[in-house]
Amino acid sequence: MARQTESSSRDSILGRIRAGLRVVPHSAPPEESERPIFEDINNPLERFQGECVANLMECTLTADLAASARQLATVLQSLPSGSIFVQDDPALRRLIDIAAPGRAIRWSSEGAPEESSQATVTRAEALIVQTGSILVTGSCGGRGASIVAPCHIVLATMDQLVPDLTTALRRVSQQQLLNSNSFACVISGSSRTADIEKILVQGAHGPRRLVVILQSGPA
Amino acid sequence: MSSAAAQFLRDAAEKSADLAHREIIRRGMESYDTAHLKGRARIKDWEAAREKCQQIKRQAINHLDRYLVQFEQQVIARGGHVFWAEDSEQACSYVKNLATQRGVKTVVKSKSMVTEEIHLGPVLEKAGIKVWETDFGEFIVQLRGEAPYHIVTPCMHLKRDQIANLFREKLDKNIESDDPAYLMTVARRILRQAFFSAEMGISGANFLVADAGVVAINTNEGNGRLCTSIPRIHVVVTGIEKVLPRLEDLAVFWPVLATSGTGQGITTYSTLIGGPRRPGEADGPEEFHVVLVDNGRSRLLANPEQREVLHCIRCGACLNICPVFRHIGGHTYGTTYPGPIGSVLTPHLAGLAEFKHLSYASSLCGACSSVCPVKINLHHHLLQNRRDATEAGATKSSERFVFSMWRRAMLHPRIYAFGGWSMRKGLRLLYGLGLAGSALDPMQVWNRHRSPVPLPSKSFRARWRNGFNTNGKAN
Repeated sequence: MARQTESSSRDSILGRIRAGLRVVPHSAPPEESERPIFEDINNPLERFQGECVANLMECTLTADLAASARQLATVLQSLPSGSIFVQDDPALRRLIDIAAPGRAIRWSSEGAPEESSQATVTRAEALIVQTGSILVTGSCGGRGASIVAPCHIVLATMDQLVPDLTTALRRVSQQQLLNSNSFACVISGSSRTADIEKILVQGAHGPRRLVVILQSGPA
Repeated sequence: MSSAAAQFLRDAAEKSADLAHREIIRRGMESYDTAHLKGRARIKDWEAAREKCQQIKRQAINHLDRYLVQFEQQVIARGGHVFWAEDSEQACSYVKNLATQRGVKTVVKSKSMVTEEIHLGPVLEKAGIKVWETDFGEFIVQLRGEAPYHIVTPCMHLKRDQIANLFREKLDKNIESDDPAYLMTVARRILRQAFFSAEMGISGANFLVADAGVVAINTNEGNGRLCTSIPRIHVVVTGIEKVLPRLEDLAVFWPVLATSGTGQGITTYSTLIGGPRRPGEADGPEEFHVVLVDNGRSRLLANPEQREVLHCIRCGACLNICPVFRHIGGHTYGTTYPGPIGSVLTPHLAGLAEFKHLSYASSLCGACSSVCPVKINLHHHLLQNRRDATEAGATKSSERFVFSMWRRAMLHPRIYAFGGWSMRKGLRLLYGLGLAGSALDPMQVWNRHRSPVPLPSKSFRARWRNGFNTNGKAN
């Protein structure tokens, strides 16, 4: 199959679009408005934690790697036995050595997560205060890392907090993250549905739990 | 009357008299209203957000050619494929041929209204390919062999016991409860097998971002994530109008779409995908195809009054607020896109003569225009469609005759007075004989289901000459 289509339909559609655009619309252009749309963010950490609660995520603050490892161990102990999938990252290798000595581990360098994974542990590119979200890319263990297992645990540091979506998306553009990664995702809570009678069900096709371990010191 | 119009009137009469159905819709809409208002209150200046979205979409559509090419070039540079489809047939055959050439046996789909519009599912099924709808609501309506009832919540017309019975009948006779969480677990288990055996995932796109060259897909359940992560091939099927100029534009569109759609601050998974799996990535599809569907959209672009209809982001807010939708429900429209936006759009996509009746499925109250997050003047476009249908001669000869008489009467006071006099006398006689609502009654459409409006004894002009008292009644 040709990478670019046989140009007949492409050219005729673009031709029609260009001809159509020569028609001047009747309605006047809307007024340019630069009024602020969203509330200012005054206390980023507090706001982020509040948004996490609203998004049904768990967010725990830790002081250093040792504390993060203790927190990770607690979360893992609450899960059924079985292998976990971990992004192959130096900080996470150190963390897993302490927190999950007995667990079977599949590293992202070995390929995609297995369907039977009990949890995945990854880093994030940024944490977004405004919406209580984590930003992940393909570099954070790939696409399946944040969706396949029933529990997704994210190790992040305080300096990764960015105030809002605009800042996060600007960073993605500036660092060309979408050229070095085929995928990025702003994740705001655990997977959910309200398709039956608008009743909220947590844990639809993706994780039931999204846990953020937010460390004040460097990872 | 077109067969679609006749069907619409039959279904509308039936659904608006179905009190159980109305109760389900009322409860669904009440919970939406609460969430939507709460969501809007979280945004500091909702009107500024709407204006911003309107500006951005206007810019995007007014330079659509440039942005589409910019998007396309980057997808191709990353090893993706872009196919431009004139119509449903071209789009469907591209996907079908790709699937058969690659030996695809199973397809997993996430929710996409464009694939509903082009009827992709049946085309693939006919080619012997198993298609799984993986959005929970879509999965349920697919099991029922129905079209989605609503563009955001496809099964909002069903109660949990109906869904439990459906699962018992189609999936597993041992379904033991109608608890929504339990039913979701059952669907999750079945669809997990589908995700991991499918060779192809098909998704829609909420936005095409020109400067970054990526598609943006919003889902809450995460089925869209699995469709675009696990299978070997990912195909995006979407309309050419979904373009946004800059990645940063999503910083306003994501919250606005989520607020208007469900009242959330942002959808759980706001995903950006720019191509197939890159070297060094742990997973992801080997092939990435984007099918850009025109199907009448470029024609709408050339319409100086209605170009802005292409600004629509398919949030469903106009359906939810519409008093007509709330009474007749989604299926009655008989179209892919129901509600006010569907009534405006369908005549353009599927034919004015066949679907002009939808321009009248509105009280012109303007509620739709008032909630539209990109400020489309929906009810005015319904009026324009009415006018266009009339000018195109798509009206019945009897209707044209009645209106020519009306015009004559309005221009000649004596004829008008005579008409009024004969109607008063004639209707009084008719009602006196108990024939209100019968085939002989010129007011049959109204009187069939209602008691007749009391007839005045004197004409308006006679009352005017005699002066009105303070209650507005003739002395």
